[in-house]
Amino acid sequence: MHQGMYSQLRAGVCPTLTRRKKVAIAVAIWAAVLLPSVHSQPLALSTTTSTSSTDNSCYVDGLSEQMNCGAVSVPENYAKPDGKQIQVHYVVMPAIKSSGKSEALLAIAGGPGQSAIENAQGFDKMLTKVRQTRDVILIDQRGTGQSNQLQCIGDGFDNTLAINESDFDTRVETQKCLDELDADVTQYGSLPALKDFEAVRAHLGYQKLHLYGVSYGTRMAQLYMRHYPEHLATVTLDGVVPMQQSVLAIGDAIARAFELVIQDCNNNALCHKQFPQLAADLEKVDSELAEAPKISTIADPTTGEATQLTMTRSKFKGALRMALYSPSVRALIPHAIHQASKGNFQPITGLYAMSMDSTGIAMGMHASVVCGEDWQRLTPELRATTAANYFGKEMLKTFEQSCAVWNMPAVDDSFSQAIASDIPTLLLSGELDPATPPSWGEMAMEKLTNAKHFIAPYATHGVAYQSCGNNLIAELVETGAVTDIDAECLSKDTRRNFYLNASTVEAIPAEGSQQETTLSADADKALSPQQALNK
Amino acid sequence: MSNKIITMLRKELIDAARDKRSVMAGLYYAMGAPLLMCGMFFMLIGQLTSPEDLNINIDNPQGAPDLVKYLSSEGINQTDGENTKDILLVISDDYASNMAKGISADVTLIADASNEKLQKSIRRLEKRLQAYSSEMGSLRLIARGIDPRVMQPIKLNVEDQATPDSKAGMILGIATMTMIYAVFISGMNLAIDTSAGERERNSLALLLSHPVSTGQIVLSKILAVTIFAMIGLLLTLIVSKFAYSFVPWQELGFSVSVNGNFIGMMMLIGLPVAIMAACLQLFVSFMAKSFKEAQSYLTIVLILPMMLAMAASYDIAPDTLQWLPVSGQLQALMEFIKGRELPVVQLAVSSITTLVISAGLAMGMQKSLKSEKIVFGL
Repeated sequence: MHQGMYSQLRAGVCPTLTRRKKVAIAVAIWAAVLLPSVHSQPLALSTTTSTSSTDNSCYVDGLSEQMNCGAVSVPENYAKPDGKQIQVHYVVMPAIKSSGKSEALLAIAGGPGQSAIENAQGFDKMLTKVRQTRDVILIDQRGTGQSNQLQCIGDGFDNTLAINESDFDTRVETQKCLDELDADVTQYGSLPALKDFEAVRAHLGYQKLHLYGVSYGTRMAQLYMRHYPEHLATVTLDGVVPMQQSVLAIGDAIARAFELVIQDCNNNALCHKQFPQLAADLEKVDSELAEAPKISTIADPTTGEATQLTMTRSKFKGALRMALYSPSVRALIPHAIHQASKGNFQPITGLYAMSMDSTGIAMGMHASVVCGEDWQRLTPELRATTAANYFGKEMLKTFEQSCAVWNMPAVDDSFSQAIASDIPTLLLSGELDPATPPSWGEMAMEKLTNAKHFIAPYATHGVAYQSCGNNLIAELVETGAVTDIDAECLSKDTRRNFYLNASTVEAIPAEGSQQETTLSADADKALSPQQALNK
Repeated sequence: MSNKIITMLRKELIDAARDKRSVMAGLYYAMGAPLLMCGMFFMLIGQLTSPEDLNINIDNPQGAPDLVKYLSSEGINQTDGENTKDILLVISDDYASNMAKGISADVTLIADASNEKLQKSIRRLEKRLQAYSSEMGSLRLIARGIDPRVMQPIKLNVEDQATPDSKAGMILGIATMTMIYAVFISGMNLAIDTSAGERERNSLALLLSHPVSTGQIVLSKILAVTIFAMIGLLLTLIVSKFAYSFVPWQELGFSVSVNGNFIGMMMLIGLPVAIMAACLQLFVSFMAKSFKEAQSYLTIVLILPMMLAMAASYDIAPDTLQWLPVSGQLQALMEFIKGRELPVVQLAVSSITTLVISAGLAMGMQKSLKSEKIVFGL
């Protein structure tokens, strides 16, 4: 499980925009309910699977094993079955010891807009135990990954580091994006995608599915529970977005996660001693940047070339927000804030660079989902509370403009009703989650009669990746019941200390004691740089 | 003509069936071997996958509390109790101060790497330390405004062409070897009994005095022994089919299943081997002077096919071996298991060689039965 954390760290913790991808998108993306994705490189298929309903062995990024890939052809608009057809691609990661072809686990990615197939490595690692006896299916939901991806690749703004996000005209950029896309964007919400999922299940011939949904994927899982309960054996919702909840309320969750990290530091003797004024530091940088961005020349995080950095409030808070997704990167936040308050934006730039070049959220699909399902159900009251904090306000501003362009029809009111079901359902929430707080999990429990909700005290977003949550899923799939699941292991303290400077998590020895050890330290100086950088 | 052979075959089988003990002795292997193999694999899997807590000694743990806490969250605990492994992790006195300065902090692992019982634990500890170090390395780069991915200049993508079946190849190779060996063991008692035994009971001379040719006698004996060998093989396969399905192979990352296709293939490919085994055992038994002698000779003679089978399953000198009897068939079987193309030429050559050897041995026996020396064991 920790392994997962490290690879997340290496590959870039959280998905946001790519520097090659558009910046319009950069602003819009702050709305994304993100899954801390594990991998970012595009899928490498050894065989093209463009023909409909074909099965081929193939390889997915990050896994050396042969998988089974294919696609089903579905109408873009289910109301016009003879109209334009799109290919919905899937990958079956075969069970190691199959217990018959009748059951499989469908893992649904978050975003909205992430490709499940591109995250195959993370799913595989997390679902290792499930895969011992069950096939695992990954589907690129329509509009993502290989399934007619709705991605906007604009031009200009080559250097994300240098731009000032507030110069950005979301409406114009969104319009440009819409003009580029060859798709009826109104058909890329959750409900048509659900029909695709069901089509893939029928095509593959599984009688029953176990569902695992993470982040936005929990909405798809809940819709599956509502519309096709007869095909479900068990459901796991990890980082729950309840049907009753508009994801645009995520601003509160982010603000809560910020408070928690500051509180954690204050409760930690070492961290508090090192950064006694953390809340004030954060406030100071925030208000300074709110007045005017700070422009400086830095070495590009990747290329090392001199480049301009326009440190804006959006970059600063965005980088910190992304850092909140991973428990290991989170440990760097107090140091990064403190350095920024002293005018050193290096750590913030490092964090920002990680979120900058990461797995693509298909922004077109993202907009179709959020504008159709979340934007229009915002009541004036909710709008007011959401606007009370920075991220909520930014998000409202962005979607106000982009949803006007996207022009999605609103879903029915019934869409927002709580799911009533007796399917064995496991709900997982991370106490430190900066996207879907534990209270959302409680809300989803409202009408679930055969469900258990567990809160992992040290996990952020995507509990199963960071704790023994994945073992609980394996147990649920194996036994088919939630009654016996014991979540005590979730409380295991896997926390790491906060970084006290740019190098250490251990207590920094006082000057005096450092003198004593100078001699032996000198003796070890012969280490080569390679060793020092040992990976 | 053929009626006579069938009559004699019936005689041989009735004879063999009368001695229930030796029949059972032959079949014990057929049933016991797969069960023993399964037991062995159970233990192996238990050893490879046990997530037991690893207890080690840590010197100066207060020098690196975060590292010690991390290790313990990975199940590597610092104790002095009885179950503590003989591994010592020494955290240097200047660990914290070097860490704070951003230079490498020394941690020394002291253990005997030649101790097999420790190797797995040492590897586990090293891996965890490496992971910890690598995570910190990435975060140090981030704290300095550098993208940690610059540390990974090459991204290696591996496309493994193995199928789940072929991953089990090594295990199945060993299993197949024990299966094919069943044809040698199952018929052995009968082979000795029907040759050296018959001679000792003085019924061989009586048989020869009947109006049947020595060729027919030899043929019927070979057939009887072959039938026994094949029954042994079939039994092994059936027992394997059930026993192997209980082993939790998936914990090793692959599956092993003995299916109908495999059983059919095994029986087909095993037939020439069974015939050769019968001829070889009968020949050696006839050459021996007594029942006892035959038993000891056969044990030695059987080492040869076993070596060939072993060499094939361990992949030693596969180029030559694929043309030889026993090893050739075994290799073909393993290719079949792995779902690759069957090496038809090699299989044909080794099968024909097997049959030629069998024919030679049969002819030798036929000739020798005309000699008084053999018939009366002089």
